[in-house]
Amino acid sequence: MSDFPSSARPGKLLAIIGDEDTCVGFLLGGIGQLDKHRKSNFFVVDKSLYPSATNIEEIENAFQQFVKRDDVDIILINQHVAEVIRNVIDRHTSPIPAVLEIPSKDYPYDPSKDSILRRAKGMYTAEDFR
Amino acid sequence: MVLMTEYQFNIDSGYLEGLVRGFKNGILTRADYLNLVQCETLEDLKLHLQSTDYGNFLANEPGSLAVATIDDKLREKLVIEFQHMRHMSYEPLSTFLDFITYSYMIDNIILLITGTLHQRPISELIPKCHPLGSFEQMEAIHVASTPAELYNAVLVDTPLAPFFVDCISEKDLDEMNIEIIRNTLYKAFLEAFYKFCEDLGGATADTMCKILAFEADRRAFIITINSFGTELTKDDRAKLYPRCGLLYPDGLAMLARADDYEQVKSVAGYYSEYSVLFEGAGNNPGEKTLEDKFFEHEVELNMLAFMQQFHYGIFYSYLRLKEQECRNIVWIAECVAQKHKAKIDNYIPIM
Amino acid sequence: MSGKDRIPLFPSRGAQTQMKARLKGAQTGHSLLKKKADALQLRLRLVLSKIIDTKVLMGDVMKEAAFSLAEAKFTTGDFNQVVLQNVTKAQIKVRSRKDNVAGVHLPVFESYQDGADTYELAGLARGGQQLAKLKKNYQKAVALLVDLASLQTSFITLDEAIKVTNRRVNAIEHVIIPRIERTLSYIISELDEYEREEFYRLKKIQNKKKRMKQEAEIEKAIRKAKGINFDHAANILEDNEDEDLLF
Repeated sequence: MSDFPSSARPGKLLAIIGDEDTCVGFLLGGIGQLDKHRKSNFFVVDKSLYPSATNIEEIENAFQQFVKRDDVDIILINQHVAEVIRNVIDRHTSPIPAVLEIPSKDYPYDPSKDSILRRAKGMYTAEDFR
Repeated sequence: MVLMTEYQFNIDSGYLEGLVRGFKNGILTRADYLNLVQCETLEDLKLHLQSTDYGNFLANEPGSLAVATIDDKLREKLVIEFQHMRHMSYEPLSTFLDFITYSYMIDNIILLITGTLHQRPISELIPKCHPLGSFEQMEAIHVASTPAELYNAVLVDTPLAPFFVDCISEKDLDEMNIEIIRNTLYKAFLEAFYKFCEDLGGATADTMCKILAFEADRRAFIITINSFGTELTKDDRAKLYPRCGLLYPDGLAMLARADDYEQVKSVAGYYSEYSVLFEGAGNNPGEKTLEDKFFEHEVELNMLAFMQQFHYGIFYSYLRLKEQECRNIVWIAECVAQKHKAKIDNYIPIM
Repeated sequence: MSGKDRIPLFPSRGAQTQMKARLKGAQTGHSLLKKKADALQLRLRLVLSKIIDTKVLMGDVMKEAAFSLAEAKFTTGDFNQVVLQNVTKAQIKVRSRKDNVAGVHLPVFESYQDGADTYELAGLARGGQQLAKLKKNYQKAVALLVDLASLQTSFITLDEAIKVTNRRVNAIEHVIIPRIERTLSYIISELDEYEREEFYRLKKIQNKKKRMKQEAEIEKAIRKAKGINFDHAANILEDNEDEDLLF
């Protein structure tokens, strides 16, 4: 809990990694921010490139960068994108920033793939997932 | 004079008119839509589209079909058709077609300006621009790094320069909300287009002026309604009304004073065309929204353009109808993809 | 029990009392930690069931939001790029505070609005109402996701805390307490051993004394039989009945 300083500090951001439509939606929801260095807190995964190797690397980089940024508390990531970099996400175990997997419009939500829920398996029976 | 132009119309534009009427026959019919609506997957949708004029336009798409791909391909097809016509056209039809592209140019320029203001790499943005609105100087925009440079070096050379010069000064570019710039430009464009069609005279003026007047009035209504509850002041709002519709000048003056939806509605009440649209509109589920009503009316007007011969209006109308059709298909595709069938019938049928 | 794993100390009565106190302490600690683990476990279950509910809810909310995006696009046309390019400052931000459950600090996120809507005038001429609906839907989604994030971090933190607590409980139960017990029994056995030795020694001395006494008794009896009075020790100087040994 040492990485969790006192609560009196400026508001943190949500970051998003996802396909264009998901990003656009959340940006319209008002979470987008460009900082002084013109770095954005969103990363659009281009469908046309996906899922080539370079693209995966790019997604990983983006994810790592968001994890490293100390003004990001929550990272939203499309589940189908999360699938591609699953090992990186599974390795991220600290509670902050929180990584949330969200459905995209083309890929409905599948709880059995979710990192957190997989961790929670064992404690819960299959019945509870329904 | 009118007779003369109609006699001479076929010399230059007869082929193209025939062509566009042929294209128009390819527009999806009610039966096609009924088939599309019943699709369970995007693959089904693709199959159904293959049996229409669209043919195999999706045949070369590998992997699973995404709505965005369908959207891109639809647009690509439309652009190819339009550019074909543009290349074959003579004056003044070519100018007329250029005018049509200006509206896309406005969107592109706005996108590029936004990008420049936020210091995004322009090269990244160029591919995202609408191909119908591309122009030679577009690539040059990245030379400019400040809004002032952008204005002086690039914008004045674009085909849109006359619209810019009239209504937006150099420093507005920096301060004004980008959406206001867009709407100001669009207003200038509409007025210029209207004037141009009026000067062409004949059947073109008859049909086009009607369509453009409606477009102008629709913008005035929608802008007014959407400005409620925002920081847009009434004065600024009034500046965005295109002054070429039926509402000009009295209706616009009344709209400028409107404070809520009811007042807008009462303004529309003075105009029989619009009061009908407002009557049938509602925001409750199951009711058509005002914008849907406007779309339907637009489609109707555009269909009327095909009732006359020897005029340019059909080119504009064809493009408009086709665009609406693209939106319809994308809408149905989205509904199918997201398995959200409740509202799938909200598309605007083209009779 | 060859004293392989016990606390190294000198087996004495004092050490025994000390160990007894330690055992008592360890047992109390064990039951307390066990209670804490149970409390955390309870909380974890609660959080987990909430997570599952919220995730399902999120599925619906996101679906609705994605659909309203489609609706907005239907009226407005494609506006993706304009939105992507027009990002400036975040309007929704996250604040966090801490919640204390059985000594574990759980971060709780809260979203709040800060600053004006960058896209206030987007879709002014077309689709403004749809866009407004879209924004509202996504804001709802964001609020829900922020809740979910709190739950999820709570889950991870709790999970971690439970693991640590369980480790401690197990360590106390299976290592510390047995060790103290072993030490105690070692002390007791050592002390017993001392006692036995002491007893044996006492017995031995007693025996010896007894034997010596007996021997003396016997000698005395013999002498008595011989008529020698041993009642008082013979005095060489006084001895008048002493026979001449040489003659």
